[in-house]
This record gives sequence, structure tokens and C-alpha cells, in this order.
Amino acid sequence: MKHIIHADLDAFYAAVEQLDNPELLGKPVLVGGRPENRGVVATASYEARQFGVRSAMPMRTAVRNCPQGIVIAPRFTRYREMSRRVMDIFRSFTELVEPLSLDEAYLDISAAVNQAEGRWPLGVALELKRRVKDETGLTVSVGVSVSKSVSKIASDLDKPDGLVVVPPGDEPGFLAPLPVGKLWGIGPKTAERLKSEGIDTIGILAAQPPDWFARVFGQRAESVRQRAVGLDDEPVHTERVTKSVSSETTFPNDLSDRAELRRVLEALADGVAGSLERKGLQGRTVTVKMRLADFATFSRQTTLPAPSSDAAPIRETAWRLLAAELTPGRSFRLLGVGVSNFAEANAVRQLSLWEYGLTTEAAKSADDN
Amino acid sequence: MKISCLQENLSRGLAVAGRAVATRATLPVTQNVLLSADQGMLRLSATNLEIAITTWIGAMVEEEGAVTVPARLLTEFVGSLGSDRIDLDMEEGSRLLQIKSGRAEANINGTDPGEFPPIPTVAAQEAIVFQADPRMLRLAIDQVDFAAAREESRPVLTGVNVRLSEGAFTMASADGFRLAVRNGTLQQSGDEITVIIPARTMTELGRMLGDNQEPVQIMLTPQKGQLMFRVRGQDTVELVSQLLQGTFPNYDQLIPQSYTTRAILGLKDILQATRTASIFARDGSNIVRMQMQPVDNGQGQSGKLVVSASSQEVGEFQQELDILELEGEEGKIAFNSRYLTDVLTEIKGEKVAIETTTSSNPGVFKPVSESANDDYVHVVMPMFVQW
Repeated sequence: MKHIIHADLDAFYAAVEQLDNPELLGKPVLVGGRPENRGVVATASYEARQFGVRSAMPMRTAVRNCPQGIVIAPRFTRYREMSRRVMDIFRSFTELVEPLSLDEAYLDISAAVNQAEGRWPLGVALELKRRVKDETGLTVSVGVSVSKSVSKIASDLDKPDGLVVVPPGDEPGFLAPLPVGKLWGIGPKTAERLKSEGIDTIGILAAQPPDWFARVFGQRAESVRQRAVGLDDEPVHTERVTKSVSSETTFPNDLSDRAELRRVLEALADGVAGSLERKGLQGRTVTVKMRLADFATFSRQTTLPAPSSDAAPIRETAWRLLAAELTPGRSFRLLGVGVSNFAEANAVRQLSLWEYGLTTEAAKSADDN
Repeated sequence: MKISCLQENLSRGLAVAGRAVATRATLPVTQNVLLSADQGMLRLSATNLEIAITTWIGAMVEEEGAVTVPARLLTEFVGSLGSDRIDLDMEEGSRLLQIKSGRAEANINGTDPGEFPPIPTVAAQEAIVFQADPRMLRLAIDQVDFAAAREESRPVLTGVNVRLSEGAFTMASADGFRLAVRNGTLQQSGDEITVIIPARTMTELGRMLGDNQEPVQIMLTPQKGQLMFRVRGQDTVELVSQLLQGTFPNYDQLIPQSYTTRAILGLKDILQATRTASIFARDGSNIVRMQMQPVDNGQGQSGKLVVSASSQEVGEFQQELDILELEGEEGKIAFNSRYLTDVLTEIKGEKVAIETTTSSNPGVFKPVSESANDDYVHVVMPMFVQW
């Protein structure tokens, strides 16, 4: 039997800001792009969440809901540094750590658990939480069970600073009362559809007959059914190799307007830059994928002078690639932007001035508030 | 066309105009130089379509006319002649330029000046005009042009951002890893304006200024996207350049306003140590490390700097230097060796101040002198390394 922890730092970016600037403690902090630049909320502190502010909400909306919110530009260098410290603490418990992003990881703590010697999963989880708090000042919500999917659901139930342990064998009972949308692999649309059939909890879902699963989920039927009763033996992957990060969009109507294409492309580039930041990756190669009205599909790529996750060079490089393909009468069905050729996380690298600029902008906006 | 001039004057004029001759021939005629009689002088013009240079040399004009000839051929030929009088002669309606000097005679096939791209100019009456001391301008150019981006992924960064205002100018360039900002004074000012001038233009201007002492005129017609420098030395030279369009990044916020360690060093010592370290850094990602440590000598004011570099294959190097004055805590930081030598080569004076906060925040390099003429800040992002 395995023992797996899902650890999730609470309102990570906002918590780091509050840690670095105690004046922000207890105040609604909105980390993200500025409202006048059509920015979105990357993380809101718990104080801000009381006002209905959520991640990915347009900052303009967030500031309207929470006018006393303090808007801070993200300082990814600092978040990466703090994330590294937290992950290092995780790795002192077990070598089997699978980071999902800067603020989230699975840990296989089976080797650290020795019930004969009194080292129970609960004890390991408590010690993990205490050490993260003592050594970094951050709080982490932890879910403990024998599987990744149950632990992930558990860590989310008692946030912030939560701890939920699901003892082995209790999984079906633990999951049964929870809404179906909590289950990994059931998105908002599927959840809606299940609800319309009267299936709103995982318990009701798990009670459906196998042929019902086959009809609704097709090939995924068996894995969804197993997860609904807490069966999941997915191992903790210590090396999850992301080779590229990309985003693409298909237009409802073919596009040929230069300004419109540029707007779409830049939005895609910003999205890619955002996911690179979250994953702590920096890439050298920028690729633009294009599909024309006649379905001809091709891509163009080029190399940046240095690995980057900044929006500006990705935007400008992507636009240069696309602009070279714009000819009168050419219209596009689909555009995509991708970044690949990643630098190793701890590798020696030249730091970027623009990245530093984001941190001083953050400091300045903190002063303004 | 019938013009006479001195070999040394023509040779000098060709060298100046030759800087704007195209090296790659997208438009073959741009590899030519345009010769024309102009107000009793011989005018020489060349353009590579990014910049255009025009200069005038003293000559005796007997018969007006104009022709373009291959610049390299003419320059090499004139350069090979002795210091003597040169007669340029071209019959009306012909395109064959005859050049005589002493007993040497050459005939060079020219092309119609009508095929030459128009040489842009900036008319004084519709331009904003500034005037600057060429020595100050040249120093400023030397201190900023190298920090502009070489590659074109963000075109505005291949330029120098120049703000001209009442009695003062600010030049700034940044390639994403370093930022150079130089302030200076103007002798005569027009309305305040900020433009982005290609760094290549600035480098060319710096070269052209040489040791001139006559004020340089800067004339802008921003609505036409052009500017012109008029340099008056032995000859008058006009350099016209396109301006770069776009928005230069707001660089004020890239200059750290505080530091935890400030070390004042002898410029020669640190430059020499950096150059030596660069030799060892060559095979190891070009990393030069600096560690600043206070030395307790009772006064607590001084310290030592350890400059080091290593590569797995080659070996390692380290050198200790005295810090003349150390303020703050000990500090360590690693830089790309080229960025270090670039800035240390261009800082003037005996001493340099290096200010740092952490090993992942920028280092700031400033000259240390009492002269108000030395208003220069250079910011370099460090390399992320394992210490």
C-alpha cells in the first residue's frame, strides 16, 4: 500500500507578497496584471476571496468587487525561489516528489511511513506542514490518502492551512457526498450534464451500472468508475517532462484582418507566457501554427536570444513570424503559439532585465497603494 | 563635368562617404558613390538606404555635372595615387569618367545619377534643431551604443532612445540583459522630443566625430521619421538616418534605487582582472564571479574583491583586488564576462563603483568622479549560477 500526499500552498503568490511585505498581512491582495492593461488575477489572498474574487478573473472585475484590493504585479523570480525552497523541504521527506506547478506537488511518502515505529501518515503530514511554515512562513494545505486523486480532492476541502486524512478503505465513503465536479476528469460541462440526469454526487455516480458508464464515458468509462470509488494506482512521477507549452484557437469565421489577427496572436502569446511562468519554464524556440481557409496547415518557428517566459519577446517574435505570412486575400481558420526548447530549471543562465522590471513594477504598485 | 581637386581631399571624402556604401547589393547602384559639383565644391554622397552620408570637399569646378561610379574601385584607385592634383572629366552625354593625376589616367564606367536613390536631407526651416559639443556626444555614444540589441526580435531595442530637452540630452540603450543610460548637456535646444535612433547610426556618428571640436547640429523632422547630424570638421559631413518606430521600454524602473553592497574599485585593476578571468571563462558559459568581502582593519571601510572564473576542462583562475571603499555587507554576483569588459572599457576616470543587492538582482556600474560631465549609469543582469 502506498501513502500519497497532495500538498498545495495556500494563495501562493499573494502569500509570498504578504510575507515579503508585512503591511499587506490581513489585507486583500490581488496579484496579477493591472486593470487598465486588461490584466487578470493570478492569485487573490483569502481576504480578497471573501469579496468573490477568483483566479483568472479580469482584474477590472476583481477591483470592482473588491475596491480596497491591493493590486500587485507578479514577481515570478521570487515565487520560483520560494517554490524551490518548499520543494526542497518536500524532497527531504521523500525523493518521490512530483511538482504540478510552482505551488503544488504530489509526494509518495510510503517509505517515510513506518506504523510499527509510530510514524503514521498523519504524523508525516503534520511535520511537513510545520516545517514549511517554520522554514518559509507559508501555509500549505495537505491531503493524505493511498492515491493521488483522493489526496488531491482532500487537500482542497479544508483550505487554507488544511489537513485532511482519508484512512485506507474509507475512500468510497469519503468521496460519496462530494459533488461530481470534484472528480478528476469531470469538467464543468460533464458535471452539468450529469446533474441534469440527477447525478450530482460522486456516490450516486459510483452506484451507476457499468453499461451506463460505458455509454456516457466511452473509453474512459473504467478509469472514471474506478476513481469514483477511490481506486487509483497512478504512481508519483518524479520526472514529468514538458517539451513544449502551446495554445491555439480556431475562429468561428475565417480571419484576415491584420489588426484582429495580431490581437488574437498576442492573447495566445500571453497565455503561453502565463503557463510557462506557472510551470517555472523558460523556452528558446517560439512556434506559430497557422491553418488557412483551405485547411492548409503549417508552422513557422524561430529562436530567441535567451530562454524566456516573458510575454513581450514571445508576443513580438510570434507576430514577426505571422506578419511574414500575411498576404492579401489570405485568411486564417486557426492560429497557435507554442514555446519549446526549455532551459533546465537550475541551469546556469543569463537573467533577464525585463523580468527584473516586473519585480520593481510590483514594488512600485505596492508603494502606490 | 570638369572638376579638379587634391588627391588627399578626395581620398578623405571617399573614406567618409564610403561608410554609407552598401556592402550587400540588394540594389546594385547603392554600391556606388555619387559625385556632383555643388556650389563650387565636389559633393560625395552614398547611401545603403538606412543611412546616407554626404560630404563636400574643396575643388575647382569648371563645368558642372554628376555621375555615380563604383565606390570601392574609385576609393582604391584614388588611394593608390600620389599626393597630387586630380582632374575629373566627363563629356556631356557620356557616362565614362576620366580621372587623371600626374601621368596616370583611368576611365571608369559610371551610371546615370538619376538611377541613384534620392539622398534624403533635412531642411533647417522645417526641423527641430539642437546643437551639441562633439566630444560630449562621442563619449555618450561610446558609452551606450554597445548595449543596444544586435538581433532584431524587438526592433526598438536595436536603437538608442534619445531624449533631447532644454539644454540636456539622455541616451539609453538596452538589450534585455543590460541597460546603459547617459545624460549630457546641449549647447542649443529646440522643443523637447524623444526619438529612437538606430544604434548603427550612432556608432557611425561617433566614428565620424573623431576629435572634432566644432558644434554638431542635430536636426529632426519627426513627422518624416528622419534625423540629420551635421558635423563640421575639416569638411562638413551630413549623416541622415531613418528613425525607429515603436515604444522604447520604460527603463527608469530597471535602475535599482538602492544597494546592499557598494564597492569602489580602481578601474584599471578590475578591468585587467576581468580580462584575465574572461580567458578562463571562455569555455564555461563566460561566467565571471565576483565576491566582495569586508576586511576588518579597524576602520571597517575597506574590503577585498575576489574575481574568479573556471571551466571544467580548462581549469580555474582567481584574483584578489583591494576594494578602495566598501559600504554595506559582503556580496557575491556572477556576470557574463563580455558584459563586464564592455562596461568597464567605456567607463572613464580612475575608479568605478559597483552596487549590488542580491546575486539575482542587477549590478549597477557608475563612474566615480567629481565631474558633472560623468552622468552615466550602467545596469547589468547577473548570471544565475550555483554558488
